[in-house]
Amino acid sequence: MISISPKALTPGSDTSFEQKLDLTNLTPEQVALDINKLNLFYGKKQALNNITMSIPKGQVTAFIGPSGCGKSTLLRSINRMNDLVDNCHITGEIILHGNNIYDKHVDVAELRRKVGMVFQRPNPFPKTIYENVVYGLRIMGENNRRRLDDAAEKSLRSAALWNEVKDRLHESALGLSGGQQQRLVIARAIAIQPEVLLLDEPTSALDPISTLTIEELINDLKKQFTVVIVTHNMQQAARVSDQTAFMYMGDLIEYSDTNTLFTTPMKKKTEDYITGRYG
Amino acid sequence: MDNLQIGRHISGQFNEDLERVINNVMHMGGLVEKQVTDALAAVEQTDVELAKQVLSNDYQVNAYEVSIDDECTRIIAKRQPAAGDLRLIMAIVKTIADLERIGDEAEKIARVALESFSSSQQDLLVNLDNLGRRVLEFLQASLDAFTRMDCETAIKIHQMDDKINREYEALMRQLMTYMMEDPRSIPQVMTVIWSARALERIGDRCQNICEYIIYFVKGKVVRHTTAEDMKNL
Repeated sequence: MISISPKALTPGSDTSFEQKLDLTNLTPEQVALDINKLNLFYGKKQALNNITMSIPKGQVTAFIGPSGCGKSTLLRSINRMNDLVDNCHITGEIILHGNNIYDKHVDVAELRRKVGMVFQRPNPFPKTIYENVVYGLRIMGENNRRRLDDAAEKSLRSAALWNEVKDRLHESALGLSGGQQQRLVIARAIAIQPEVLLLDEPTSALDPISTLTIEELINDLKKQFTVVIVTHNMQQAARVSDQTAFMYMGDLIEYSDTNTLFTTPMKKKTEDYITGRYG
Repeated sequence: MDNLQIGRHISGQFNEDLERVINNVMHMGGLVEKQVTDALAAVEQTDVELAKQVLSNDYQVNAYEVSIDDECTRIIAKRQPAAGDLRLIMAIVKTIADLERIGDEAEKIARVALESFSSSQQDLLVNLDNLGRRVLEFLQASLDAFTRMDCETAIKIHQMDDKINREYEALMRQLMTYMMEDPRSIPQVMTVIWSARALERIGDRCQNICEYIIYFVKGKVVRHTTAEDMKNL
């Protein structure tokens, strides 16, 4: 009897659907942000414990974890929103383009131009849709009408909102629905062409259909920007992100590609959290 | 059951759903085991009644497969299981498919008891005994490991299929000799070959079940890997 030993399948062979990055070994070109031994204190209470991670460029990275685990705090430290909090004290560094964003001579306004942010509740300015989108550009001194028009259209298209608002650009932004307002805020954030876009629970105030629209948008946005998202909705993290970081009580418990984290997490804490078990 | 940790979900309803599915899988496993045992006994003792019973009971195995499948689909839709829960559901869905096929193989074996063998040809059937015992042992061990989600045992018994395959090949050679010696025996020998084949297939499916157990516990896919890779788990 002829016996032919079958060729063993190896992970990552050509038939594999997965393409994953080795997060511990990224080349400098692949990295958008390097967080290095970051500790953050609110007064005496330590909210982040020695966080070290690299966020890859052109990908969506999600932070998940129970309330109070520090995921929003970590997200906010990426564009120094925590500077506004009294008693907040930070050690460690976050490297963007080779420079620590916590260096003394960093211009925070300039940093936030590179690292845009969208919040949980849509917060359009009480101005027209058009003025909302070009607001950042105007602040930067851009007054050329044609350039502003182009930027508004481009951003609104990128935010998948153009077709819905193109005939009423000069009406108040407050007349838009919640989902539209959130996309408008995203359009405003991307109008100034940031490198990194931070999304802090961007869909938690939205209905399921608007949520799906935003998720679809996030997938498109990563072609141009590095996206970092905080979400309470684990399925959302599973759907939209390439990498997921699970945080618990200020510690980064597990950080790996989303497919692995949601099917075969390495740490028991992660497993318990994503399967809804008692800790 | 300890490995499963089903009872620890915050959602009590989810715990109940999972427990119900697992209990059903165990019942199905018990039923399939009985079907194979009965089929082999029917052949050994030429018990036509028992063979008929095996044939008529197969629908129960099929019914279990359909209802467990259904329940798993519902759980996926309603609970979006992740990590260990997800692997458990996947392992269950695959295991019941294999159990259902084992049920079909039992049916094939039972049909042999319905064929008329002259007393001189009866000897042919004795050849199946050994293989049958070995396969039954493997099936019982696999179901046992599945009940406890015992990965160590699954890895250990995974190799039992190799022995079954060797025994099957030896039996084939023997049966071929019969056919060459007496071509008139070919129809009966073919019947024996079909049931030997059915037993060998049951062995393969038990091996699959072991692989699902390993997948559930370790999160590693060991299908189509070599024995060497298995050792490194």
